[in-house]
Amino acid sequence: MNSMNDQRFFDLAMKAIANHATDNERAELESVVASNPELKAELERLRAESRVVKEVLPLVEAAEAKEKELPGYARVRLQSKVRETFGGTSAARSEAETAHIEGWRFWMIGLAATTALVAVLLVPILTKPSGAIVQVAMLDLVGATRGTNTVDVETLRQVWKESPVESFSSPPALAEWEKTWPEKRKRPAFKVIYDRSAGEVRVMGRSKEKEFQKTFPIEPDLQTALRRAASFIAGETGR
Amino acid sequence: MSVPELSALKSGDADAWDEAFRWLWPTAFAVAQLKLQPYLPEDIEDVAVEALEELVEKVAQIKEVEELKPLTASIAHNLAVSRLRERFAAKRGAGVTESLEARREAEENDTGPASGDSPLADLEQTELAGLLGELQTQLKPEQRRILNDFFMRGLSYEQIAAKHNVALGSVGVYLKRGLEAMRRQGAQHPKLLKELEAHLR
Repeated sequence: MNSMNDQRFFDLAMKAIANHATDNERAELESVVASNPELKAELERLRAESRVVKEVLPLVEAAEAKEKELPGYARVRLQSKVRETFGGTSAARSEAETAHIEGWRFWMIGLAATTALVAVLLVPILTKPSGAIVQVAMLDLVGATRGTNTVDVETLRQVWKESPVESFSSPPALAEWEKTWPEKRKRPAFKVIYDRSAGEVRVMGRSKEKEFQKTFPIEPDLQTALRRAASFIAGETGR
Repeated sequence: MSVPELSALKSGDADAWDEAFRWLWPTAFAVAQLKLQPYLPEDIEDVAVEALEELVEKVAQIKEVEELKPLTASIAHNLAVSRLRERFAAKRGAGVTESLEARREAEENDTGPASGDSPLADLEQTELAGLLGELQTQLKPEQRRILNDFFMRGLSYEQIAAKHNVALGSVGVYLKRGLEAMRRQGAQHPKLLKELEAHLR
């Protein structure tokens, strides 16, 4: 490498790339590069590599980050993704659930009067937590096309009479809804989500500074799951 | 927080995934934050969640549990870059009636798309994940600290020597070995080299 050793060339190149070189160092580098095309190519390579290093190093550091708590809504959304991706027991449950829902729908239509009676007798006991805000939503990815979600919405309405039921057909829209909480922090607030595809009812809640959530599988039926969810809410609000 | 078991993740075990999400969330969040904080800070959490959702789909391709963090970082990086590109493209596309002068000025001041110009931006996720994983294990802590001080914090040779209590002549040696390690990893990733060559032209 002419009269200059590798390390000296490297140091001059690095200082020039970082704009730390003195006038003398810059002149020395220019002189050696001018007389040696290989070193000129090496200087350009070092410039490009420096650029890659500046991109990669922060990524390497970030990849090792350890301190950050997973938000509750994110966990719920991610677990839905796991169920959606792996099927497995969820898929089996989903088939069973589909059959069950069909039977249950028939049952619902045929025995609407009985259902209403059960709702009148049982649900008010559980669904009037003192001052709690309850928001209710349903996620149904295919409900709009198969047209059976009316029955489910009605069932949700029977349980939480004072809460309008929001209907979502896409997980991102539901995730947004899950993130938005009522302003009145002095009152406990709950979000109840009936995720039809996952076959579950999720309850997320905030009471004082405490946050909690629980999932209730649709077993043996939606109404039972909703009753359990309502009991959970009542328990968390101290009733 | 313990490292999740890969076989349990591959079978869709909800508890194992719960553990994995808690373990990987800081990585996904930190990488998304790195790219998006200056331009789209409100998108950071969303991109981090999307990255973990994508990881769920890709877990079948993973052979060792140690690959999870680099792959998460790689996915989050690429999603964040895509988000930036989309957002800035939409912003530019919206201004169809602006004058040429205004457009030139906006482009000069608009540093956002620089992230899309990154030599890493078009790497395959697995390739970037491999590179990150190897660098995590190959770069010694002292090398990494000195590389960080020089490239990221802009410290001079003299400042680094004083900070790390090493001889002035050793600073360049550390930097050279660090860059050589990067170059060796780059040689194993042809697409990265290709990107570099494109930048050399």
